[in-house]
Amino acid sequence: MKKLFLCTCNGTLNKLLDFTKIGKEVKALYDVVEVVDNLCLEEGLTKLEKGLSEDDRLAIGACSSQIIGVPMKQRIKNDLVTFVPLREQVGWVHVEEKESATNKAIVLLSDASVQLDHMESPTEFTESVVDRVLVMGGGIAGLKAASDLHRLGVEVTLLEPSGQNNERYLQTSVFMSDTDTLINELQAIQKTLKKVERFEGTFGEVTGQTGSYDVTLNGVNGNEKIREYGAIIVASGNQQYLPRSAKKMRHGKSERVVTLDSLMSRLKKKRAKESSTILVAVDFDAPMFSVEGSHLLRSTRNLATRGYTIIVVHSDIRTEDENLYREARDSGVIFIRGKVTRIRENEKGLTCRIENTLESMEREVIADLVAIPQMVGPVNETALLADKLGVDCDNNGFIRTRYSKMKPVQTSRRGIFVAGGAKMPMSLSDAMASAQNAVLEAFKVVRSPLTRSGWIPVIDDEQCDVCKACLEACPNDALRLMDDRIVHVPAHCEFCGICVSACPTRAIEFQSHRKESWFARFEAVATTHRRLEGKKPFSFVFACSECANASIDQAGFAGKQYGTGSYVIQFPCAGMVSPIEILKGLVVGAEHVIVAHCPPGGCHHQTGDHLSELVVSFTRDMLREIGQDPERVQATYMIAAMPEKMQKEVPVRG
Amino acid sequence: MDKRERLIQKLRNIAVQTPTAILEVPEKVEGFGSIKYRPEPCSVCKKCIEACEVEALDIDFTVQLPAYLDATIPEGGFRSKNRETLISLLQTLKGEGDVQAISVPTGLAGYGSVVWFTEKCIACNKCVEACPEDCLDLEKQYDLPTIIGDVVTPPSISITEWEPFIICFVCWECSHAAADLAGLMHLHYPANIRTVRVPCSGAVEPIQIMTAMENGVDGVLVTGCLLSECHYGGDDPLAGNFMQQDFVHFWQSVFEEIGLGGRLHIDFASAAMGIRFTEIVTEFVERIKKIGPSPLRGKLEVES
Ligand code: SF4
Ligand code: SF4
Ligand code: SF4
Ligand code: SF4
Repeated sequence: MKKLFLCTCNGTLNKLLDFTKIGKEVKALYDVVEVVDNLCLEEGLTKLEKGLSEDDRLAIGACSSQIIGVPMKQRIKNDLVTFVPLREQVGWVHVEEKESATNKAIVLLSDASVQLDHMESPTEFTESVVDRVLVMGGGIAGLKAASDLHRLGVEVTLLEPSGQNNERYLQTSVFMSDTDTLINELQAIQKTLKKVERFEGTFGEVTGQTGSYDVTLNGVNGNEKIREYGAIIVASGNQQYLPRSAKKMRHGKSERVVTLDSLMSRLKKKRAKESSTILVAVDFDAPMFSVEGSHLLRSTRNLATRGYTIIVVHSDIRTEDENLYREARDSGVIFIRGKVTRIRENEKGLTCRIENTLESMEREVIADLVAIPQMVGPVNETALLADKLGVDCDNNGFIRTRYSKMKPVQTSRRGIFVAGGAKMPMSLSDAMASAQNAVLEAFKVVRSPLTRSGWIPVIDDEQCDVCKACLEACPNDALRLMDDRIVHVPAHCEFCGICVSACPTRAIEFQSHRKESWFARFEAVATTHRRLEGKKPFSFVFACSECANASIDQAGFAGKQYGTGSYVIQFPCAGMVSPIEILKGLVVGAEHVIVAHCPPGGCHHQTGDHLSELVVSFTRDMLREIGQDPERVQATYMIAAMPEKMQKEVPVRG
Repeated sequence: MDKRERLIQKLRNIAVQTPTAILEVPEKVEGFGSIKYRPEPCSVCKKCIEACEVEALDIDFTVQLPAYLDATIPEGGFRSKNRETLISLLQTLKGEGDVQAISVPTGLAGYGSVVWFTEKCIACNKCVEACPEDCLDLEKQYDLPTIIGDVVTPPSISITEWEPFIICFVCWECSHAAADLAGLMHLHYPANIRTVRVPCSGAVEPIQIMTAMENGVDGVLVTGCLLSECHYGGDDPLAGNFMQQDFVHFWQSVFEEIGLGGRLHIDFASAAMGIRFTEIVTEFVERIKKIGPSPLRGKLEVES
């Protein structure tokens, strides 16, 4: 049966909307319509639970699904549920127009009823999983990841570059912390790795998907083997290199010009003889990672406390620990904001000309030594490695993660994670934390039987022309060509529906969101709107279920009012919208169709923001050509932090 | 250069006037035709492009809106359902004004159209068979104007003392025997022909005819066994001489268009028909005498 539960939100929503009218208007659409006072509280939830049987289709007219969805999930198991946020997207944003707001609620509930008619049971699928993880090491985070996995009882292979040893680990991690801590940490981890399989060499081909990747391992002595892994952690670490300005600083020409790290190891714990002056010339133009800054401050403080006169010439110094800066100053390090423009060598030492950018004046300093802090970057092989793994790199050549805040270790390919410096230079503690994080994610992959369920794209081979448009469009490698057929790999799928929007033949359709379902819904909205509101114009907002929908909910919380004739239709991802849905929206009578997506680069499915812009611009081109006003169709981004977006984008009239 | 390119190059070389007509291709003539493409049901699956062995098709990142708007959607609809819906929505929304093709934004998969290059196509029908959407048809038409392009008419030169020079292809079955018989019977025919023996009249290739013309001969005569008596096929409609008859008719229409009308002829004689052979030759020589020397003589003169 099809049931509708309306919530008065503790007797408030029924003051903003005419519940009697709503009840009367939607009675014919649902088998049961029930009004509850507090659906989110025990009393309401019990009522819901009692009033439902397992195979009922259910519409909830209450607050945002983000709120009511959570307690509901724990209480009821029904698959076929839709939420109509009557509070955030109707009552709260149309407070001054009770009648129109009520009509809008009726329109949305009619849409929900049609949506329920087209809803299909989610598909369940199970994938086989290999309980073994490959750590592509090289950085200290790799050691940590291997060690943690081993401790969790997961079989692990630690792949290390040829010739890797403790000294090399130390050398490439020197910027991450003070040396003693580093040495202790390294020794402690190495001890735990006694029983871990270590493999010296590189890797070749990587095929398969999350849960079972086949990796070709190439050993240093020419042996090659193919192993299966459920997940892969990339922890190739960092490499240090000289900044561009080093040559100008006479590095390599003068014996008195050295890197800061080599100076540190040369001076070991020696105290300064007399007063020797060391000028530290930081590259003026290269941006600094905060670990680099911390390392610079630690090193210079160390030297200053041993009696050397230290002058640091720098642009911006970034550090994650303000204390380091204070301590360096207190130990006598002199900081000059500026740029070393010339160095001359004579018998007295090095005459360095410094251009002070703050006071815009020049001065000369005579130093015994010039030290150049090295910069930290990804190891040389990172680009090649990323290519072989099929994951993306960022502009600096580090492995790119999906969205650094929400999924800080997830690369662009499922089941492949990144830990430590391969993502960006990190302090020792951050690298350790990121290794733990990656281990956790890898553990989740190899230990959970990959049973998931959801609405998936289904392919009709009979209908398919194997044009590969879907395959090109899928951002997750979840569609593949096998024996001249398109095969869906659910383990990789994020259910974004981007593939569906690319298909010219309709051989691929998304469960519950088939084209005919969208069409029926748009028509239901249009006819109900016309019945209640007559000729008043209306618009569709095709909103992605992530940022855009959150922004529209936020508009409710912030009381940012907008026109009532605006009907939000949720798409899993804005990338699922094709010109067909947009044009259909216009054909059923909408004055405007607005496609709202996540901010540029912020799409939860990687490409939806960009693709929806392309689709909209293409649709606008078509409209212009056939003599229609292209301004009727717009694409825009919306984010929760900008609740006023909806107000701005929705034309006032409808 | 492949064979087709060489043939077209030769056609361009011998053309002395700009062709204007699209030619009908006779029934038995294969290898020449036109692909008619309907963009509206096309899913841009590239099957046709993959099937074509001579790269006569390519993808084009434009959407043919005019065709979309003019399309009539058949009763059962197109196989490409999404395309069909898109087209019917566009037709519903169509407002005022002219419509032109638009380009597909880079990075948007699933849209585009197919372009066909007439000069490369060898009318093999493979693309038609490969297309799952029934967008393509092979038509018995040859777009000579596009293939030849604009022709510069060569300067005419005045020739005072002139005797036609004619190449005569004879099959080494009947028609060669007929020529021999004519000799044996001491029959008289003009000395303007040079015979070239070929296994069968059907074995004369267009490229040989064009090469002869290119070199300034005034006419080409093809002779074979009597129809239905071909030694390679007899009365089969696909026998050598039946085939060649259609081919020669095709090339005659091409010659007509490019300014060489009347200079190609096909006829038939059995081994016992020495007299008929003499008549064929005499009639053709008389005809060429009337038309005059090949206009290509002028061109050759200028070039040398
Ligand atoms: S739904 Fe998204 S992730 Fe899944 S196959 Fe389609 S495009 Fe790929
Ligand atoms: S886009 Fe559609 S027709 Fe093309 S390969 Fe994918 S499912 Fe098949
Ligand atoms: S008919 Fe043959 S040659 Fe011509 S386009 Fe089609 S496949 Fe290519
Ligand atoms: S013409 Fe046919 S085979 Fe060629 S791309 Fe279009 S649908 Fe595919």
